[in-house]
Amino acid sequence: MGGRNSFKGGNRMKGKKLFLWVSVLVLVIGLLSIPLFGHKAKAQGKPIVIGAPLATAFLYGWDAERAIKLAVEEINAAGGVKVGNEKRPFKVEVIDTRDLEPGVPTSDALLVVEKLILEKNADFIVGGPVRSEAALAAMDLLSKYKKVSILTTGVLTPAYHKRVEAEYEKFKYCFRISGEVAWMVVGEFIPCLMEIKAKHNLNRLFIMIQDVAHARAGGDLVEKMSKERGWEVLGKEVYPTGTTDYSVGLLKAKKENAQVILIWMDMPETSILLKQWYDMKIPALPYGTIISAAEEPGFWKATEGKGEYAMASVVNAGNAPSKATPWTMKFFEAYTKKWKVEPEGYGTSSSYMAVYTLKDAIERAGTLDSAAVIAALEKTDLMGVYGRIKFNPKNHQVIPSVDPNEGAVGTIFQWQAGKRIVVFPPKIAMGEVKLPPWMKK
Amino acid sequence: MIIDNWSLPIDYSIMVILIYGIINSFSLALMAIGFTLVYGICRLPNFAHGALYVITGFLVWSLVHLLKLNYVVSIILALVIMGLVGAAIYRFVLIRVRGMATSEIIATYALGLAILEFLRWGGFKGMTYTLPVFIEGSVNIGGIPVDFQRIIVIGIGIVVVSFMWLFTHFNRTGLALRGMAQDEHAAMMLGIDSDWMAVIAMAMGSILAGLSAIALLPLGNIVVEAGYNVLILSIAVCIVGGLGSWVGAILAAFMIGFLQIITVTYIQSHFQMVVALLAIIVTLILRPSGLFGRQKELEERV
Repeated sequence: MGGRNSFKGGNRMKGKKLFLWVSVLVLVIGLLSIPLFGHKAKAQGKPIVIGAPLATAFLYGWDAERAIKLAVEEINAAGGVKVGNEKRPFKVEVIDTRDLEPGVPTSDALLVVEKLILEKNADFIVGGPVRSEAALAAMDLLSKYKKVSILTTGVLTPAYHKRVEAEYEKFKYCFRISGEVAWMVVGEFIPCLMEIKAKHNLNRLFIMIQDVAHARAGGDLVEKMSKERGWEVLGKEVYPTGTTDYSVGLLKAKKENAQVILIWMDMPETSILLKQWYDMKIPALPYGTIISAAEEPGFWKATEGKGEYAMASVVNAGNAPSKATPWTMKFFEAYTKKWKVEPEGYGTSSSYMAVYTLKDAIERAGTLDSAAVIAALEKTDLMGVYGRIKFNPKNHQVIPSVDPNEGAVGTIFQWQAGKRIVVFPPKIAMGEVKLPPWMKK
Repeated sequence: MIIDNWSLPIDYSIMVILIYGIINSFSLALMAIGFTLVYGICRLPNFAHGALYVITGFLVWSLVHLLKLNYVVSIILALVIMGLVGAAIYRFVLIRVRGMATSEIIATYALGLAILEFLRWGGFKGMTYTLPVFIEGSVNIGGIPVDFQRIIVIGIGIVVVSFMWLFTHFNRTGLALRGMAQDEHAAMMLGIDSDWMAVIAMAMGSILAGLSAIALLPLGNIVVEAGYNVLILSIAVCIVGGLGSWVGAILAAFMIGFLQIITVTYIQSHFQMVVALLAIIVTLILRPSGLFGRQKELEERV
């Protein structure tokens, strides 16, 4: 009996000890959370939910997510969004659309958009879907739920804003604050190519593109326009998504004495293409228009410097260091400080600006009502990270320019000695295009 | 516009096809040999093969960059770990579904998916994960530039194929594995432990998947999506060669390897993957058990 009693006593002791420890834990958690409660008390009314459908495993998705979160954090820290007489914070809900992955059907991205609207109660959609095909399909959903959306990344097809223009009443909810392929080719890629032609006396072009809608359309347009402007187009190779060997295509370019290889691909494997280009010492300048791999700041280290001389467009200024506007480097430094990496490429500055543009429009509208916010967005005139942000009121496409005082400017840079040096447009250029030494005979 | 390749000097195109055809064929053979070994010995279709390939790449990367180990030590360590992973997959998962073909496929594919998604969830995304090449530089062969790493791939391919032949012809365990591949029941009657052999086969299959990753990944970058590509190519090679036939797999690797390079040289890069898939379809129509397969039931049914 005595043994059983002492056993019981031991249990009681253990129980007391446990109770003591739990009490201490509760006390500590309670004390620690006081500042949090204080913070909450400081936070304003009901949050405005931004739904962000993004392909988060890919550059154009994760950089957009980071940029949106940075903007939201800054805006909330500064007091939030003034809706009428009330100050309300932003809240971000991100769901992975996986639409940049090979073999993932477009319908998956649509389910994500619908989930953001119905389950996460998103007030606005910012970001994606990231693949053109998915974004075009999502327009009908946005129209059905009357949700204002600002597209910021991945989608370059002109079909997007053309659809808005063609059926304004139905698709008036859709805005795009980043570039589109028609302007990029006509206003940036071809003029930059012509600058290279004039400066270095080159005229033999080889085109390598990925088998996706925007690259096929872009490749065709570049081919047509460059031919009209005195370039000899020697060949065009189309690569399926996920290609890991480009040697034979590069040898074709070499055999044809190509002087510039124009690359238009958004898959990470393009870094292989540039490594092979270096290893084979192909005597042609790798002019990446859309080339996600070369955009990333980590590209230099990942290729052990083999990507030197590779050029890439990051679509909007601010995604590589430049002094386009006073806000450009401020954003650049804030992003670098928060995420321990420089703004990574296409989709970063535009996603950041989309949140600020939305804030500006909501404050001017004084309500979250879609019709009022659309009207306010159409009247946007904001000096942003990549120039003056204004939407074409007929098609809701951001107005582009090569002058940051006139409109949204793009950026083409070249990797030089481990740095991304902006070479186009001239108004924001930080350096000039250089040719690899093995091109000079 | 498609480049008019026929205007190229024929010797240049032939040299490209010859050199890059051999490299591509050895790459395919390296990718597929682990898959075909496991299927050949224990009739296990290891659909986690591509995932094992990718995880080896990330494992070596982590050992080099996070634990700051020497590259060679990291490679050896990664291969040992992969062997243990392969053995564990059989011992803890596949042993329970052994003999049920559909369940085996579902279990291995699910495992592969879980590995790949786990890697993605763990932050292994983007193009910044790369492994250094073994020897830097390139050489001109008949006017065609070839980098040393690709020549090393051929070397590793030859060593692996030779080792596999010697192992299965002159080593007791290797002979037992071959016995299992020929007739499992007869092998069991002779005292060969079927499960133990399957553990060894899975371990070796995983090591071979890892070895191919270590040889091929320095040519590009380590991305999760490569897992699916490697799996599809391995399956294509094995089906064309005849499921379970090692000789068939190597021959099929050469057939598909050369066909792909010929397609890229004379038609378009766009059709490179189509060739592999077309090879599966044509094989299944004309010779369902593959070049060297002995799927009697299948032949009779067709």
